[in-house]
Amino acid sequence: MRIRRFAFTALVLLLGLGVLIAGSSAQTLSGEYKIGILEPLTGPLAFEGKRHLEGYEIVRDMINERGGVMGKKLVFAVADATDPTAAASEANRLITREGVKIITGTFSSRLCGAASEAAARHNVIYWESSCVDPRFNKRGLRNAYRTEIDATGFGWYNIEFIAKHLVPRFNMKPNQLKIAFLSEDSSYGQGVTESARLRAKQEFGMQEVALEYYNWTTINDMTPVVLKLKQLQPDIVHHIGFGNDAVLFWRQSREQNFLFKALVHAGATGYGGADFGKALGNDANGVFALLEPGPGFRIEALRPEGQAIEKAFREAVQKKTGGIPLGGHQLAGSGLWILKLVLDKAGSDDPEKFRQAVMSLDLPVGSIMNGWGIKFSDIGQNANDRVQHYMLQWQDGQLVTVWPEEFTTLRAKWIPLPAWDQRK
Amino acid sequence: MLGLLAHRRGAVIFFGVAALVPVVVRDAFFLDSLVLILLWGSLSAAWNVAGGYAGQVSIGHAAFFGIGAYSAALMVTRFGRNPWLGMLLGVALSLLAGLVIGFLSNRLRGPYFALSTIAFSQVLLIAVSRWRGFTAGAEGIPVPFRPGFATLGLGHVAWVYMALGVAVLYYLVAVYLERSRLGLQLAGVREDEDAAEAIGVASRRLKVVAVAASAGLTSVCGSLWAQYVGFVDPAYVFSVDLSVRFALNTIIGGTGTALGPYLGSMLITTVETYLRAQFSGLKTGFTGIYLILYGAVLIIVVRFFPEGLAGVAHRWRATRLSRARAVGAAGSV
Amino acid sequence: MSTILLGGIYALVAVGLTLIFGVMRVVNFAHGEYLMLGMYLAYWAFTALALDPNLVLVIALPLFFLIGLLTYVLVMRGVIHASHNVQIFTTFALSILLQNVALVAFSGDFRYVRPWELYVVIRAAGATFNLSQVVAFLIAMVLTVALFAFMKWTHTGRVMRATAQDRDAATLMGIDTDRVYRITFAIGIAAVGAAGVLVAPLYAVYPTAGLQFVLLAYVVVVLGGLGDMVGAMLGSLIVAAVEVAGSYLVGAAWKEIFYFILFILVLVFRPAGLFGQRGAETLGV
Repeated sequence: MRIRRFAFTALVLLLGLGVLIAGSSAQTLSGEYKIGILEPLTGPLAFEGKRHLEGYEIVRDMINERGGVMGKKLVFAVADATDPTAAASEANRLITREGVKIITGTFSSRLCGAASEAAARHNVIYWESSCVDPRFNKRGLRNAYRTEIDATGFGWYNIEFIAKHLVPRFNMKPNQLKIAFLSEDSSYGQGVTESARLRAKQEFGMQEVALEYYNWTTINDMTPVVLKLKQLQPDIVHHIGFGNDAVLFWRQSREQNFLFKALVHAGATGYGGADFGKALGNDANGVFALLEPGPGFRIEALRPEGQAIEKAFREAVQKKTGGIPLGGHQLAGSGLWILKLVLDKAGSDDPEKFRQAVMSLDLPVGSIMNGWGIKFSDIGQNANDRVQHYMLQWQDGQLVTVWPEEFTTLRAKWIPLPAWDQRK
Repeated sequence: MLGLLAHRRGAVIFFGVAALVPVVVRDAFFLDSLVLILLWGSLSAAWNVAGGYAGQVSIGHAAFFGIGAYSAALMVTRFGRNPWLGMLLGVALSLLAGLVIGFLSNRLRGPYFALSTIAFSQVLLIAVSRWRGFTAGAEGIPVPFRPGFATLGLGHVAWVYMALGVAVLYYLVAVYLERSRLGLQLAGVREDEDAAEAIGVASRRLKVVAVAASAGLTSVCGSLWAQYVGFVDPAYVFSVDLSVRFALNTIIGGTGTALGPYLGSMLITTVETYLRAQFSGLKTGFTGIYLILYGAVLIIVVRFFPEGLAGVAHRWRATRLSRARAVGAAGSV
Repeated sequence: MSTILLGGIYALVAVGLTLIFGVMRVVNFAHGEYLMLGMYLAYWAFTALALDPNLVLVIALPLFFLIGLLTYVLVMRGVIHASHNVQIFTTFALSILLQNVALVAFSGDFRYVRPWELYVVIRAAGATFNLSQVVAFLIAMVLTVALFAFMKWTHTGRVMRATAQDRDAATLMGIDTDRVYRITFAIGIAAVGAAGVLVAPLYAVYPTAGLQFVLLAYVVVVLGGLGDMVGAMLGSLIVAAVEVAGSYLVGAAWKEIFYFILFILVLVFRPAGLFGQRGAETLGV
């Protein structure tokens, strides 16, 4: 009995500790405007959720330095969306307990679906900055918007780069190109890969020689895949990797001496993440990844107002993280900035006034950070051709901007990729 | 009937309070939490039929949950029918799957059985993730919200009563199991299968029936969940985490008791939601602390109160009773 | 050939598990988290002290032995005589706790350990591997064989095996079962911690890294037969072979399905494992 009483006391103490550490949520002061931030802060997606949160915080500070939103200081109520049920539940909490009228987040396709549903039932504005599920705005949700292009946009840009920039330099025609599709099997990988496949085939007649999906959390050896693809002799490997799988594939391709003309990826994870460079150093040379702009980016190519914001953004990121903006920062940051522009224009968070303001925004490419423009369609999606995306390439341990050429001082190298030990 | 009510004081209080909450409280987050408590509670009660009453501890019940969720979602998005039809289909499929698992339960005991159930749920997870053409693969299925009862497009208050209805129904199923001959036979199988066989109980068949029933009940809740949250993806609905949740709620609350799953669900869901809300606002990177606390709390509860909350309450009541009797006896001497 | 290397690593992970499972009859859900902790040890030793993972092993073995003892005393001892439910869920809660300790302490970012051996490519028998894989395999084999020898020829090992066969009889014979469990658990954790250190260069290091191994380890253990260490080694090879063949023939997408299905088939037709004692599975407890 004594042990049980002790255990009970320990329990109470632990819970009390929890209360103490967490403290109570701050009350909204009258000069503040609060929005909800929903990101995965625990669980397998935590590494990117954290970066998005950082991006939001950095731009929030920038916004507050410039007078805040609607004359008030912008503050956050943050919630952890670790799985779809939690995403919906926390969205509810942000709306009812924190009283937010706008929720932004959530980075992952499996979370944005549930969260936006929950927001819709309260008629709260849902402002998505990153998830790429193409069905997000096809559900008829009037108050759900997305600032980033969806997976079809990624696939579109990748094939654009391959067909217009790489293929001519191989002295080939697009319909002679043999392309192998490899991808991790989450909704992100599937979405991008399927749209790339479609465009490659329908518009350019490229020859698809392989389609392989795998689970990025459990794959621990890509040699079988490498060997299989090696036999098929593709010209291009279109590989959407998520984490360690990218490193494994690249390293093991080298070990097996699997040669191809180029590898193209899309997104801030896998080949597009800092970890890839950290893991491989100069051995990463040559890989292409579709991303927000990196080093080499010609800020001068932007419009004057875009230049000012981009400079300020980069400085702020440097100050807070000591480095250049990473994909997560750029997506979250630009998403929040566009939100500010909308709120400035609408002057209110009333859903109808908000919607009008969203639809009325029409800024050309080069107007805000990342060189983006703004133009929302009536299903709440920011247009593909305004959300300028860039192709980056790993050169000497860094991801640098190489395309479109008018936006960068640097150029793509190693087209086609030479032997593995010749990529200096 | 009144005798039943008096005997089941705890249940009356629990469900009665749940029924009154929406009348008094309008806060949507509170109502949402209540729906989750009742829904997870019902799922745990469904698990309890196999795990508690029949003694077949499975950690793969998410397989049935996922079947129910996908059946409802696909019926709506792919075939344009209403989710209730999907629920029926889900139940049919889960009963089949339950029969398979039940068969396994006759060949395997203890941890072997548990591991086989995990493998089963993971096979489903992978298969559904790959079957892109039909299930939309890993991308999952967004479930449209169309207001109305037929489409399960309900408001928060309506959902509370929906979940409550299911919870009370499952509770009554458990009560029936406790008092009926079938239930007693099941208890016999649970306690000592060989002895039960010896006195003529068709233990093998009973176990299969119990597991299959448990599967069907789980599936119904899976279909409801799909309509409630609005997004079905294989990595979540077939996850081991969910399977463990159903079992954990019951164990914390009291395995093999009728109210246990609901008590456990109430405790765990509340603690989890509360901790998560409190900790989300912390400096970036420290949010995970709430899960450390959560894990510690779970370890302590499972370790020191293995008979669960219901068991503790029972013991406490028994101690009071015996003390009262002792006092009474002493007084009468 | 890469099958064998992969199998060797799985073996070290599984051997600790089969020991714990076999002697203590405990399903340790948190086994993968100790692997993850071993990986982080290798990472920090490499990054902060520039120590090669294979050297870190020298510290890892006694360190994880102690950690195992600590875990036993604080958590496992209380549940060893409890029902399976309690054991499973206690260790599951422990796994949540450990994962999040790592998340808070080290963040969710992927880390990498890149010792020089990783870059030495060896070509043999028509296949290529890197030196890290080979060394990991060799050391894993040495440790496994050492453990096997320990079990077979030392007094403690025999005592452990006796307890595995019949807990009650062992107690009657005067064996201090608590001490046996303590040592068994500690050895099991030391083995998996060592495995973590060895595999750190081969995978990314992150808080949920243990998840991918824990289910696999259980498949191996069941395949090889509860408590049978030789079985665990052979089981590892079989699982690795199924994985590699499956990925090559049908596609990497399906590889886990293969070993799960193999797992279910073995459970249905030969539940005691390919090499275990028949009828063990119906004993359950």
